[in-house]
Amino acid sequence: MRYFPYGKAAFSVLVLAILSGLWLAAHPAPRKTATLTIWTFAKPHYQAYQLAIPAFEAAHPGVKVDIQLVANVAAAQRLQAAFWSDLDVPDLVEVEISNAGSFFRGPLRDVGFSDLTARVNKAHLLERMVAARFAPYTKQGHIFGLPHDVHPTQIAYRRDLFAQAGVDPEKIKTWDDFIQLGHKLTIPNRRYLMEMNDNDTSHFEPALFQRGGGYFDPQGNCTMDNETAVQTMLWYVPLVAGPNKIGNNLGGGQILTRAVEDGYFYCLVAPDWRTKSIEQDIPRMSGKMALMPFPAVMPGGPRTSTWGGTMLGITKHCKNQDLAWELAMHLYLDKAQLAERFRGTNIIPALREAWEQPAFHEPRPYWSGLPLGETYARLAPQVPAQYASPFIFTAKAKMSAALVACVQRYNSDGPKDFEPFVRARLKQSADEVRVLIQRNPY
Amino acid sequence: MAAPPAPNLTPQIARPPSDNPTSPFFRWQRHFAPYLFVAPFLILFALFGLWPIVKSLMLAFHATNGPKSQVYVGVNNFRFLLRDHDFYTAVWNTSVYAFFSVFLQLPLSLGLALLLNQKWLKGRNLFRLAFFSPNLVGQVFVGILFSVLFTPQYGLINQVLHALIGIPLDTKWLSNPALVMPALIISSLWIYVGFNMVYFLAALQSVDRELYEAATVDGANGWHQFLAVTVPGIRPVSVFVLVTATIGSFQLFDLPYILLNNSAGPDNAGLTVVMYLYNNGFVTGDLGYASAIGWTLALGMMVISLVQLRLSGVWKGKGQAE
Repeated sequence: MRYFPYGKAAFSVLVLAILSGLWLAAHPAPRKTATLTIWTFAKPHYQAYQLAIPAFEAAHPGVKVDIQLVANVAAAQRLQAAFWSDLDVPDLVEVEISNAGSFFRGPLRDVGFSDLTARVNKAHLLERMVAARFAPYTKQGHIFGLPHDVHPTQIAYRRDLFAQAGVDPEKIKTWDDFIQLGHKLTIPNRRYLMEMNDNDTSHFEPALFQRGGGYFDPQGNCTMDNETAVQTMLWYVPLVAGPNKIGNNLGGGQILTRAVEDGYFYCLVAPDWRTKSIEQDIPRMSGKMALMPFPAVMPGGPRTSTWGGTMLGITKHCKNQDLAWELAMHLYLDKAQLAERFRGTNIIPALREAWEQPAFHEPRPYWSGLPLGETYARLAPQVPAQYASPFIFTAKAKMSAALVACVQRYNSDGPKDFEPFVRARLKQSADEVRVLIQRNPY
Repeated sequence: MAAPPAPNLTPQIARPPSDNPTSPFFRWQRHFAPYLFVAPFLILFALFGLWPIVKSLMLAFHATNGPKSQVYVGVNNFRFLLRDHDFYTAVWNTSVYAFFSVFLQLPLSLGLALLLNQKWLKGRNLFRLAFFSPNLVGQVFVGILFSVLFTPQYGLINQVLHALIGIPLDTKWLSNPALVMPALIISSLWIYVGFNMVYFLAALQSVDRELYEAATVDGANGWHQFLAVTVPGIRPVSVFVLVTATIGSFQLFDLPYILLNNSAGPDNAGLTVVMYLYNNGFVTGDLGYASAIGWTLALGMMVISLVQLRLSGVWKGKGQAE
């Protein structure tokens, strides 16, 4: 330390700082060589796109597409941060339906996605795809995302248990029929007709959408306390609360696997994507499961609803918008590719022409030989629309709170004065959302 | 006769040549080197600590759509906060959690520390490691673990409690608003009791043994020794643990977020102040309102900590010592 007066410790820090600085200078972050970067949050999508992208690259010499898998919650936050900071913004990105609304906050010029309305109209996509699926990705008439899917819902049931109980699913046409069956088969605390949530809206929402309800109207007004919502709540709560409930929920993953295997649940709400999860998570039920359409609210009414969804957007940061659009068309409109992807994911694409592909008509051994794709494709055109809002997250939380309050009230007091309570509670939740909407200066 | 010069008793420290102000470079570096050494910290702190704090204070007076679009709204964010039902729910939940953290977790930690401080106990080190180890895995892991343990019908906790006291097997710890907070507190006890125990153990081991011997000679029994010797002896550490546990409780986020499946739970029963801040800032994009929540939380924490320090007599003790 003859020439360094501040001691060994300071000298060591200085040397370390210099060395690490030199190391960083010698190893700069690799420059991005990809022409287009695309983010997705779903592993099945990621795997399918990995197979599809080489054909796109071959058709566009010199173009390199970098596909990145980002976990759903992280993807939404990272994308938000990327938009805010103008850093590391992907060219294309898939966004889950419940997150999509949060990207539409603020004036149109502040939306981070490119307006695709003109391109969609030029390609006649509103006619070629299920038009209702554009609604969640549309703001003030401007389309910001392409729908990846339709996600019609059916009911997955234990065919073997139904057969043992002498139940003919063909005869279940309406929810009244279904509830009647539930009262016959349910044994409290041991066996329930269907998995139904009493503390969040995951199973309530399909019922609400099937009745034409929702959280917001196309103009963005909160509608979660309208007559449809009230009637849906009045119908739903006695199914999950009180002494005659026919639905219960335990949780997902291995717990659900065991509950289905044990026959704790006869039925599950099954949008197309969930059939793949059921196949993977409950493999021992292969050949014992089958599907039937949602019962109708009224005879002759729609036999399906919807649960979940994904959009593909092109960000404003993308330097080559035309190429990005071509990639989007390649991933979402190539029929052969969509058919192959359906085999891997069980997800019905929004493109109607694709449903004619043989893959959608193949019998599936797991589902007792049913042509899975055909059963969903038949229902897909009936899927109801749902509308986007930046306040969708809050609205869902408020609706969940209303559901919990109604369930508690029904458990304690039963049907006495239940309707006024439901009306008041839904109004309270809706008013809380309206206050937030009014606060928004944009 | 002149007295001989007094011997220089100052220790003779060998000075490096750089202390010799002959070279201008050495004079220059002698003057500026300390600033250079502290500069990296100061720059990083200013950039990532001070500026965000100032910026968040500015944001708290704006309605925002991300950081780009801002509209000045004065104190409207704070005014709205005062009548925001969800904010009060979050404050209530967080306060309940903090209360039990202080009045359940800390006594348990102290009790365990007292037990593991006993010389007669065999395998003390193993127990210490066992009780401390849950803290090593983090809140996310604990959240996932307890979400499985609390599962209705098949979960271990329900199976055990059903066998012991006959609670229904399908008791929904994480779906019933009344049970969410107990589930959170039970999970947090598993993480933090052992963690705080280590502080108390260290404090107990620093208490002068002679005081206990003197107390024994004076006829004090175990309880009296605890009150008269142990409690005053560990008071500084206890105050530290109390304040950090309270602040930590008010920062609660990861555990309920994971335990309740990325949500605030049924009827917001697991909504905490930080979770509410996160939802407003990063889910709905209103960074202004989130900043207002953050500043309110920070000020609230400061007041609570000051009250705790005041009540625990730390300042009084310091004044007396001086």
